[in-house]
Amino acid sequence: MVVVSQFILIFTPRNEKSTVKRQHIIISKGTELVRVPLDCLMYVEADGNYSKIVTKDGRERLVLLQLGQVEDLIAEQIDEFEGEILRLGRKHIINLNYIHVIDIAKQVLVISDCEGSYHKLEASKDALVKLKSYVETW
Amino acid sequence: MKYDNIKDDEIRIIKKKEANEPLVRYSCASTLPKSESDDRFESQLRRMERRRSRTWGRALALLLCGGVLALIGWLWYKSGADDGNVISAFEPELVEYSQDDASGMAVEDKTPLSVCGDSIKTPYVEVIEKEVNDIPLTIYIPHNATPRLKMGLPSPSDEGLVFTTQAADVRADNGKIVGAFVIDGEPLSWGLSKKGYCAIIDGKVTVGMADNSPLFEQATEKGGYFFRQYALVSDGKLVENNLRNKSLRKAMCVRGKEVFVAMTTTRESMHDFSQALVDLGVDNAIYIVGSYSYSLYRDREGVLHKISGQLSRMRQINVNFIEWR
Repeated sequence: MVVVSQFILIFTPRNEKSTVKRQHIIISKGTELVRVPLDCLMYVEADGNYSKIVTKDGRERLVLLQLGQVEDLIAEQIDEFEGEILRLGRKHIINLNYIHVIDIAKQVLVISDCEGSYHKLEASKDALVKLKSYVETW
Repeated sequence: MKYDNIKDDEIRIIKKKEANEPLVRYSCASTLPKSESDDRFESQLRRMERRRSRTWGRALALLLCGGVLALIGWLWYKSGADDGNVISAFEPELVEYSQDDASGMAVEDKTPLSVCGDSIKTPYVEVIEKEVNDIPLTIYIPHNATPRLKMGLPSPSDEGLVFTTQAADVRADNGKIVGAFVIDGEPLSWGLSKKGYCAIIDGKVTVGMADNSPLFEQATEKGGYFFRQYALVSDGKLVENNLRNKSLRKAMCVRGKEVFVAMTTTRESMHDFSQALVDLGVDNAIYIVGSYSYSLYRDREGVLHKISGQLSRMRQINVNFIEWR
């Protein structure tokens, strides 16, 4: 019975899982609070001293935190998504669930939900090699 | 930014962080043997700890430096405010002459700038053009005339007028005279907002720099005149001021036995103007209202000339002039 329930859990689609209880990442600073469902978070990009949060609906939100601080907040709040959010170099935090293309030769990483949200990110070759290696065994 | 120590060629899986637990760093760890990976991770942790303690040390040092700078800035601002338009104190009771006052009254024998001297017996103003440190100065030396302060605008038809120019500053916000001001022995304004002063007592002009000058009291007792302005030169030494902009400058100067008004014909900083006066050999000088303030002088032929300014553009309230007649 235990084995069966684990099997169901493993093969439950992420969306269905999130409808039960969506986990949110809460970024609060000063007078502003941003609450993002982790299953909607596609990536976060450093923008100087600020960070741009890009969600599945294609919207972008600038928060007044540096990328390292956002990473810290995610690490404090991450739970069921542990191991699925990744820091890529100094400029990006990405959701592994939305990795669509890793093109090492062109140094391009495509983040997409294959439903209309499509983002091309630039990353170093070494980082992409490591990412590819990680995703292959994920 | 505790965990922002990542390079562009690295990736790092974000894992649940327990209290005070650093994030697991994925570099090439997944491809390395376990022991080596562990060693590397430990050394990275140690490096992080060292870096963190160094960061705290730097932050503390920066904080201390910031505090010291803030203190210096505050003191500088405070001294600036004292020199500015903040009237915060009254002229004190009569006290003994300070060193500054004594120096303010000191008269040295110097080769006079005046060429004509008092050979002409009629009241007139001798005008001398001089260039000091590339700063063109026009020097107006009144002869056979007595100085005094006057409230209100001068009249170009006043036949007794020999020289006149604006004296004390008037505040734009409330129209009050800045600093202590005495006219015909009657004090109209009090305050130590500016350290330079000019006193006219029994026809004798004294220019100096002092926080508390007994000449204020003397002026009130003897029906004299007194006003305050920025000090430019004290005892032949330059006095720094906070005014950084460039403008046409005017100063009331004492050089040896000569009393004159020096004006620049080009826009100069206060520092350069003061330095030019020092190099001219001026003993004591204070600023008087500069820029295009209204000024007149009468030449030896008795013709009145306008130096600068327009009466129609001048405010009426508390406007004051120093004039020779």
